[in-house]
Amino acid sequence: MNDKVLAAPLGDLDPFAHDERSLADALTRRIEADPESVERGLAQLVLTIVELLRQLMERQALRRVDGGGLSDDQVERLGRTFMELDRRMAELRDEFGLTEEDLNLDLGPLGRLL
Amino acid sequence: MIELIAITDDPAAPAPPLRAVRSGGLAVLCAPAEDAVVTPAALWRREALLESLMEDRDLLPVRYGTRVADERAAAAAVAGRGGELRARLERVRGAVELAVRARPRETEAAPPAARSGREYLAARLGRSRAAVALHEPLAALARASAIQPGDELLRAAYLVDRTAVAAFADRVGELQRAHPQLALVCTGPWPPYSFAEGAGA
Amino acid sequence: MSEQALAHQDVALVDLIDRLLGSGVVIAGDITLSVADVDLVYVGLRALVSSVATAVGEEPLLPR
Repeated sequence: MNDKVLAAPLGDLDPFAHDERSLADALTRRIEADPESVERGLAQLVLTIVELLRQLMERQALRRVDGGGLSDDQVERLGRTFMELDRRMAELRDEFGLTEEDLNLDLGPLGRLL
Repeated sequence: MIELIAITDDPAAPAPPLRAVRSGGLAVLCAPAEDAVVTPAALWRREALLESLMEDRDLLPVRYGTRVADERAAAAAVAGRGGELRARLERVRGAVELAVRARPRETEAAPPAARSGREYLAARLGRSRAAVALHEPLAALARASAIQPGDELLRAAYLVDRTAVAAFADRVGELQRAHPQLALVCTGPWPPYSFAEGAGA
Repeated sequence: MSEQALAHQDVALVDLIDRLLGSGVVIAGDITLSVADVDLVYVGLRALVSSVATAVGEEPLLPR
Protein backbone atom coordinates (compact mmCIF):
# COMPACT_ATOMS: atom_id res chain seq x y z
CA MET A 1 0.00 0.00 0.00
CA ASN A 2 1.40 3.38 -0.90
CA ASP A 3 1.94 6.04 1.73
CA LYS A 4 -1.44 7.52 2.67
CA VAL A 5 0.01 10.40 4.64
CA LEU A 6 -0.32 13.53 2.50
CA ALA A 7 0.80 16.06 5.08
CA ALA A 8 2.60 15.28 8.29
CA PRO A 9 3.42 17.36 11.37
CA LEU A 10 6.70 19.23 11.65
CA GLY A 11 9.16 16.94 13.38
CA ASP A 12 7.38 13.72 14.16
CA LEU A 13 4.06 11.97 14.51
CA ASP A 14 4.36 11.58 18.29
CA PRO A 15 1.19 13.52 19.08
CA PHE A 16 -0.73 10.83 17.20
CA ALA A 17 1.27 7.87 18.45
CA HIS A 18 -1.06 7.17 21.36
CA ASP A 19 -3.96 6.61 18.97
CA GLU A 20 -2.42 3.23 18.18
CA ARG A 21 -3.38 1.80 21.55
CA SER A 22 -7.02 2.08 20.69
CA LEU A 23 -6.72 0.10 17.44
CA ALA A 24 -6.95 -3.32 19.07
CA ASP A 25 -9.94 -2.00 20.98
CA ALA A 26 -11.54 -0.64 17.85
CA LEU A 27 -11.25 -3.95 16.05
CA THR A 28 -12.45 -6.14 18.90
CA ARG A 29 -15.21 -3.74 19.90
CA ARG A 30 -16.62 -3.67 16.43
CA ILE A 31 -16.68 -7.35 15.73
CA GLU A 32 -17.82 -8.80 19.03
CA ALA A 33 -21.46 -9.42 19.73
CA ASP A 34 -21.71 -10.82 23.23
CA PRO A 35 -24.08 -10.10 26.13
CA GLU A 36 -21.67 -7.66 27.76
CA SER A 37 -21.48 -5.62 24.62
CA VAL A 38 -25.27 -5.44 24.50
CA GLU A 39 -25.20 -3.68 27.83
CA ARG A 40 -22.44 -1.46 26.59
CA GLY A 41 -24.50 -0.81 23.47
CA LEU A 42 -27.33 0.51 25.59
CA ALA A 43 -24.95 2.61 27.66
CA GLN A 44 -23.52 3.92 24.41
CA LEU A 45 -26.98 4.92 23.27
CA VAL A 46 -27.83 6.73 26.48
CA LEU A 47 -24.49 8.47 26.78
CA THR A 48 -24.69 9.62 23.17
CA ILE A 49 -28.00 11.35 23.84
CA VAL A 50 -26.56 12.97 26.93
CA GLU A 51 -23.42 13.99 25.07
CA LEU A 52 -25.44 15.44 22.22
CA LEU A 53 -27.53 17.54 24.57
CA ARG A 54 -24.45 18.59 26.48
CA GLN A 55 -22.78 19.75 23.27
CA LEU A 56 -25.84 21.64 22.10
CA MET A 57 -26.22 23.39 25.42
CA GLU A 58 -22.54 24.17 25.73
CA ARG A 59 -22.48 25.57 22.22
CA GLN A 60 -25.42 27.81 23.08
CA ALA A 61 -23.68 28.96 26.23
CA LEU A 62 -20.44 29.70 24.38
CA ARG A 63 -22.34 31.79 21.83
CA ARG A 64 -23.94 33.79 24.64
CA VAL A 65 -20.62 34.29 26.39
CA ASP A 66 -18.90 35.24 23.15
CA GLY A 67 -21.68 37.64 22.29
CA GLY A 68 -21.33 39.48 25.58
CA GLY A 69 -24.20 40.60 27.78
CA LEU A 70 -23.65 38.15 30.60
CA SER A 71 -22.44 39.22 34.01
CA ASP A 72 -19.17 37.86 35.34
CA ASP A 73 -21.13 35.87 37.85
CA GLN A 74 -23.32 34.32 35.16
CA VAL A 75 -20.29 33.40 33.07
CA GLU A 76 -18.63 31.82 36.07
CA ARG A 77 -21.71 29.80 37.00
CA LEU A 78 -22.26 28.64 33.41
CA GLY A 79 -18.63 27.62 33.17
CA ARG A 80 -18.71 25.66 36.39
CA THR A 81 -21.84 23.83 35.31
CA PHE A 82 -20.33 22.73 32.02
CA MET A 83 -17.03 21.90 33.62
CA GLU A 84 -18.84 19.57 35.98
CA LEU A 85 -20.94 18.06 33.17
CA ASP A 86 -17.81 17.45 31.12
CA ARG A 87 -16.06 15.76 34.04
CA ARG A 88 -19.09 13.61 34.75
CA MET A 89 -19.38 12.55 31.09
CA ALA A 90 -15.72 11.52 31.06
CA GLU A 91 -16.30 9.44 34.19
CA LEU A 92 -19.34 7.76 32.67
CA ARG A 93 -17.46 7.01 29.46
CA ASP A 94 -14.66 5.48 31.48
CA GLU A 95 -17.06 3.34 33.47
CA PHE A 96 -18.33 1.77 30.27
CA GLY A 97 -15.03 1.66 28.45
CA LEU A 98 -16.26 4.07 25.77
CA THR A 99 -14.24 6.69 23.90
CA GLU A 100 -15.48 9.95 22.48
CA GLU A 101 -15.50 8.34 19.03
CA ASP A 102 -17.83 5.63 20.33
CA LEU A 103 -20.45 8.26 21.01
CA ASN A 104 -20.83 9.03 17.34
CA LEU A 105 -23.71 6.67 17.15
CA ASP A 106 -24.22 4.92 13.88
CA LEU A 107 -27.85 4.75 12.86
CA GLY A 108 -27.30 2.74 9.71
CA PRO A 109 -28.96 4.27 6.67
CA LEU A 110 -29.88 7.31 8.76
CA GLY A 111 -26.26 8.19 9.16
CA ARG A 112 -24.30 9.28 12.17
CA LEU A 113 -25.65 11.19 15.07
CA LEU A 114 -23.02 13.78 15.88
CA MET B 1 -22.40 -15.88 1.24
CA ILE B 2 -21.17 -12.96 -0.76
CA GLU B 3 -19.60 -9.80 0.49
CA LEU B 4 -20.72 -6.39 -0.79
CA ILE B 5 -17.80 -4.19 -1.70
CA ALA B 6 -19.10 -1.03 -3.33
CA ILE B 7 -21.95 0.60 -5.18
CA THR B 8 -21.45 2.30 -8.52
CA ASP B 9 -23.43 3.59 -11.48
CA ASP B 10 -20.70 2.76 -13.95
CA PRO B 11 -21.76 0.04 -16.37
CA ALA B 12 -18.28 -1.42 -16.90
CA ALA B 13 -17.86 -4.91 -15.47
CA PRO B 14 -15.28 -5.27 -12.70
CA ALA B 15 -12.37 -7.68 -12.92
CA PRO B 16 -12.98 -11.18 -11.50
CA PRO B 17 -13.46 -12.40 -8.81
CA LEU B 18 -15.73 -9.38 -8.41
CA ARG B 19 -19.17 -9.49 -9.96
CA ALA B 20 -21.62 -6.69 -10.63
CA VAL B 21 -25.21 -7.20 -9.51
CA ARG B 22 -27.42 -4.79 -11.43
CA SER B 23 -30.36 -3.06 -9.81
CA GLY B 24 -32.00 -0.09 -11.49
CA GLY B 25 -29.19 2.04 -12.86
CA LEU B 26 -26.84 0.84 -10.17
CA ALA B 27 -24.36 -1.99 -9.81
CA VAL B 28 -23.51 -3.61 -6.50
CA LEU B 29 -19.97 -4.95 -6.72
CA CYS B 30 -19.70 -8.26 -4.88
CA ALA B 31 -17.03 -10.79 -4.03
CA PRO B 32 -17.14 -14.26 -2.53
CA ALA B 33 -17.15 -13.93 1.25
CA GLU B 34 -13.93 -15.02 2.86
CA ASP B 35 -13.83 -16.29 6.39
CA ALA B 36 -10.92 -13.99 7.10
CA VAL B 37 -10.37 -12.56 10.55
CA VAL B 38 -10.42 -8.80 10.63
CA THR B 39 -6.81 -7.69 10.66
CA PRO B 40 -5.06 -4.54 9.52
CA ALA B 41 -3.72 -6.55 6.54
CA ALA B 42 -7.28 -7.52 5.54
CA LEU B 43 -8.39 -3.90 5.80
CA TRP B 44 -5.46 -2.71 3.68
CA ARG B 45 -6.33 -5.37 1.08
CA ARG B 46 -9.89 -4.05 0.92
CA GLU B 47 -8.62 -0.50 0.65
CA ALA B 48 -6.31 -1.50 -2.23
CA LEU B 49 -9.22 -3.18 -4.00
CA LEU B 50 -11.44 -0.12 -3.61
CA GLU B 51 -8.68 2.16 -4.86
CA SER B 52 -8.08 0.04 -7.96
CA LEU B 53 -11.84 0.10 -8.65
CA MET B 54 -11.83 3.86 -8.22
CA GLU B 55 -9.24 4.24 -10.95
CA ASP B 56 -12.01 3.48 -13.43
CA ARG B 57 -15.24 4.55 -11.76
CA ASP B 58 -16.91 6.56 -9.04
CA LEU B 59 -18.22 4.45 -6.20
CA LEU B 60 -19.65 4.39 -2.69
CA PRO B 61 -17.75 1.93 -0.48
CA VAL B 62 -19.93 -0.46 1.53
CA ARG B 63 -19.29 -1.04 5.24
CA TYR B 64 -16.65 -3.71 5.72
CA GLY B 65 -18.11 -7.08 6.64
CA THR B 66 -21.43 -6.58 4.89
CA ARG B 67 -22.63 -9.96 3.69
CA VAL B 68 -25.78 -11.27 2.11
CA ALA B 69 -26.86 -14.74 1.08
CA ASP B 70 -26.60 -14.38 -2.68
CA GLU B 71 -26.84 -12.02 -5.64
CA ARG B 72 -30.61 -11.84 -5.42
CA ALA B 73 -30.29 -10.62 -1.84
CA ALA B 74 -27.69 -8.09 -2.98
CA ALA B 75 -30.09 -6.64 -5.53
CA ALA B 76 -32.91 -6.61 -2.99
CA ALA B 77 -30.73 -4.80 -0.46
CA VAL B 78 -30.42 -1.70 -2.67
CA ALA B 79 -33.89 -1.85 -4.18
CA GLY B 80 -35.87 1.11 -2.92
CA ARG B 81 -32.73 3.11 -2.20
CA GLY B 82 -31.84 3.76 -5.82
CA GLY B 83 -32.69 7.46 -5.77
CA GLU B 84 -30.72 8.13 -2.61
CA LEU B 85 -27.68 6.13 -3.75
CA ARG B 86 -27.64 7.73 -7.19
CA ALA B 87 -27.76 11.17 -5.57
CA ARG B 88 -24.83 10.25 -3.32
CA LEU B 89 -22.83 8.97 -6.27
CA GLU B 90 -23.47 12.23 -8.05
CA ARG B 91 -22.22 14.10 -5.02
CA VAL B 92 -18.94 12.19 -4.92
CA ARG B 93 -18.42 12.23 -8.70
CA GLY B 94 -14.75 12.88 -9.43
CA ALA B 95 -13.91 13.38 -5.76
CA VAL B 96 -12.01 11.59 -3.00
CA GLU B 97 -12.00 11.80 0.76
CA LEU B 98 -9.18 13.35 2.74
CA ALA B 99 -8.88 12.94 6.51
CA VAL B 100 -7.47 15.64 8.76
CA ARG B 101 -6.63 15.40 12.46
CA ALA B 102 -5.06 18.03 14.66
CA ARG B 103 -3.71 17.85 18.19
CA PRO B 104 -1.67 20.21 20.35
CA ARG B 105 2.01 19.30 20.21
CA GLU B 106 3.05 17.29 23.24
CA THR B 107 6.08 19.50 23.71
CA GLU B 108 3.63 22.19 24.75
CA ALA B 109 2.92 21.88 28.45
CA ALA B 110 -0.61 20.57 28.79
CA PRO B 111 -2.81 23.45 29.95
CA PRO B 112 -3.58 23.16 33.66
CA ALA B 113 -7.09 22.02 34.45
CA ALA B 114 -9.43 24.99 34.63
CA ARG B 115 -9.85 26.25 38.15
CA SER B 116 -12.88 28.39 37.51
CA GLY B 117 -15.94 28.31 35.35
CA ARG B 118 -14.68 31.31 33.41
CA GLU B 119 -11.36 29.58 32.70
CA TYR B 120 -13.18 26.48 31.52
CA LEU B 121 -15.33 28.42 29.06
CA ALA B 122 -12.34 30.44 27.91
CA ALA B 123 -10.43 27.24 27.19
CA ARG B 124 -13.42 25.80 25.30
CA LEU B 125 -13.76 28.96 23.27
CA GLY B 126 -10.04 28.85 22.53
CA ARG B 127 -10.18 25.26 21.33
CA SER B 128 -13.27 25.93 19.29
CA ARG B 129 -11.69 28.96 17.62
CA ALA B 130 -8.48 27.03 16.93
CA ALA B 131 -10.48 24.24 15.34
CA VAL B 132 -12.46 26.72 13.22
CA ALA B 133 -9.23 28.41 12.12
CA LEU B 134 -8.08 25.07 10.74
CA HIS B 135 -11.39 23.80 9.42
CA GLU B 136 -12.62 26.84 7.50
CA PRO B 137 -9.71 27.24 5.07
CA LEU B 138 -9.83 23.51 4.37
CA ALA B 139 -13.58 23.39 3.92
CA ALA B 140 -13.17 26.21 1.41
CA LEU B 141 -11.20 23.80 -0.79
CA ALA B 142 -13.68 20.95 -0.40
CA ARG B 143 -16.99 20.07 -1.93
CA ALA B 144 -18.30 18.92 1.43
CA SER B 145 -16.98 18.23 4.91
CA ALA B 146 -17.90 16.17 7.95
CA ILE B 147 -16.58 17.02 11.39
CA GLN B 148 -16.29 13.88 13.48
CA PRO B 149 -16.17 13.44 17.25
CA GLY B 150 -12.98 12.41 18.92
CA ASP B 151 -10.58 13.76 21.46
CA GLU B 152 -8.53 15.59 18.83
CA LEU B 153 -8.70 19.35 18.49
CA LEU B 154 -10.06 18.76 15.00
CA ARG B 155 -11.06 15.49 13.35
CA ALA B 156 -12.73 15.86 9.99
CA ALA B 157 -13.30 14.34 6.57
CA TYR B 158 -13.27 16.45 3.42
CA LEU B 159 -14.73 15.56 0.03
CA VAL B 160 -12.24 17.02 -2.42
CA ASP B 161 -12.11 17.06 -6.23
CA ARG B 162 -9.42 14.66 -7.40
CA THR B 163 -7.73 17.59 -9.15
CA ALA B 164 -7.65 19.60 -5.92
CA VAL B 165 -5.94 17.02 -3.70
CA ALA B 166 -2.45 18.49 -4.06
CA ALA B 167 -3.69 22.01 -3.33
CA PHE B 168 -5.52 20.69 -0.26
CA ALA B 169 -2.41 18.92 1.04
CA ASP B 170 -0.43 22.13 0.43
CA ARG B 171 -2.99 24.10 2.42
CA VAL B 172 -2.64 21.64 5.33
CA GLY B 173 1.12 22.19 5.15
CA GLU B 174 0.61 25.97 5.23
CA LEU B 175 -1.70 25.71 8.23
CA GLN B 176 0.85 23.50 9.97
CA ARG B 177 3.57 26.08 9.44
CA ALA B 178 1.23 28.83 10.63
CA HIS B 179 0.44 26.88 13.82
CA PRO B 180 3.69 25.27 15.00
CA GLN B 181 2.17 24.64 18.42
CA LEU B 182 -0.21 22.13 16.81
CA ALA B 183 0.41 18.85 15.01
CA LEU B 184 -1.68 18.37 11.87
CA VAL B 185 -1.87 15.19 9.85
CA CYS B 186 -3.70 14.66 6.59
CA THR B 187 -4.21 11.20 5.11
CA GLY B 188 -5.74 10.04 1.84
CA PRO B 189 -6.92 9.94 -0.78
CA TRP B 190 -9.60 7.57 0.48
CA PRO B 191 -12.77 6.36 -1.17
CA PRO B 192 -15.66 8.59 0.00
CA TYR B 193 -16.54 6.52 3.11
CA SER B 194 -17.78 9.44 5.19
CA PHE B 195 -20.02 10.76 2.44
CA ALA B 196 -21.60 7.47 1.43
CA GLU B 197 -24.36 7.41 4.00
CA GLY B 198 -26.61 9.57 6.11
CA ALA B 199 -26.75 13.32 6.37
CA GLY B 200 -23.17 14.50 5.89
CA ALA B 201 -22.94 18.22 5.14
CA MET C 1 9.91 -0.47 5.34
CA SER C 2 11.65 2.55 6.81
CA GLU C 3 10.76 3.75 10.28
CA GLN C 4 9.03 6.78 8.90
CA ALA C 5 7.03 4.66 6.46
CA LEU C 6 5.94 2.43 9.35
CA ALA C 7 4.92 5.45 11.41
CA HIS C 8 2.96 6.80 8.46
CA GLN C 9 1.21 3.48 7.99
CA ASP C 10 0.23 3.36 11.67
CA VAL C 11 -1.30 6.81 11.52
CA ALA C 12 -3.08 6.00 8.27
CA LEU C 13 -4.39 2.75 9.78
CA VAL C 14 -6.26 4.75 12.42
CA ASP C 15 -8.05 6.65 9.67
CA LEU C 16 -8.60 3.46 7.64
CA ILE C 17 -10.18 1.54 10.52
CA ASP C 18 -12.43 4.45 11.31
CA ARG C 19 -13.62 4.48 7.73
CA LEU C 20 -13.89 0.84 6.72
CA LEU C 21 -15.44 -0.28 9.99
CA GLY C 22 -17.29 2.89 10.89
CA SER C 23 -18.42 4.48 7.62
CA GLY C 24 -19.55 3.51 4.16
CA VAL C 25 -22.94 2.49 2.89
CA VAL C 26 -24.89 0.46 5.41
CA ILE C 27 -26.89 -2.33 3.85
CA ALA C 28 -29.61 -4.26 5.61
CA GLY C 29 -28.31 -7.75 6.26
CA ASP C 30 -24.88 -6.61 7.32
CA ILE C 31 -23.16 -7.91 10.41
CA THR C 32 -24.24 -5.36 12.94
CA LEU C 33 -22.93 -5.00 16.43
CA SER C 34 -26.13 -3.90 18.01
CA VAL C 35 -29.17 -5.78 19.13
CA ALA C 36 -32.20 -5.52 16.88
CA ASP C 37 -34.46 -3.77 19.30
CA VAL C 38 -31.80 -1.21 20.12
CA ASP C 39 -31.66 -0.39 16.42
CA LEU C 40 -35.33 0.44 16.47
CA VAL C 41 -34.77 2.86 19.28
CA TYR C 42 -32.01 4.49 17.25
CA VAL C 43 -34.46 5.25 14.44
CA GLY C 44 -36.80 7.20 16.68
CA LEU C 45 -33.92 8.93 18.37
CA ARG C 46 -32.44 10.18 15.14
CA ALA C 47 -35.66 11.98 14.22
CA LEU C 48 -35.82 13.58 17.65
CA VAL C 49 -32.21 14.63 17.63
CA SER C 50 -32.40 16.05 14.12
CA SER C 51 -35.22 18.34 15.11
CA VAL C 52 -33.42 19.48 18.24
CA ALA C 53 -30.17 20.08 16.37
CA THR C 54 -31.98 22.07 13.69
CA ALA C 55 -33.74 24.18 16.28
CA VAL C 56 -30.52 25.34 17.91
CA GLY C 57 -28.39 25.64 14.78
CA GLU C 58 -26.26 22.88 13.36
CA GLU C 59 -22.74 24.26 13.10
CA PRO C 60 -20.49 21.79 14.88
CA LEU C 61 -18.06 24.59 15.70
CA LEU C 62 -18.48 28.18 16.68
CA PRO C 63 -18.66 30.70 13.90
CA ARG C 64 -16.00 33.36 14.10
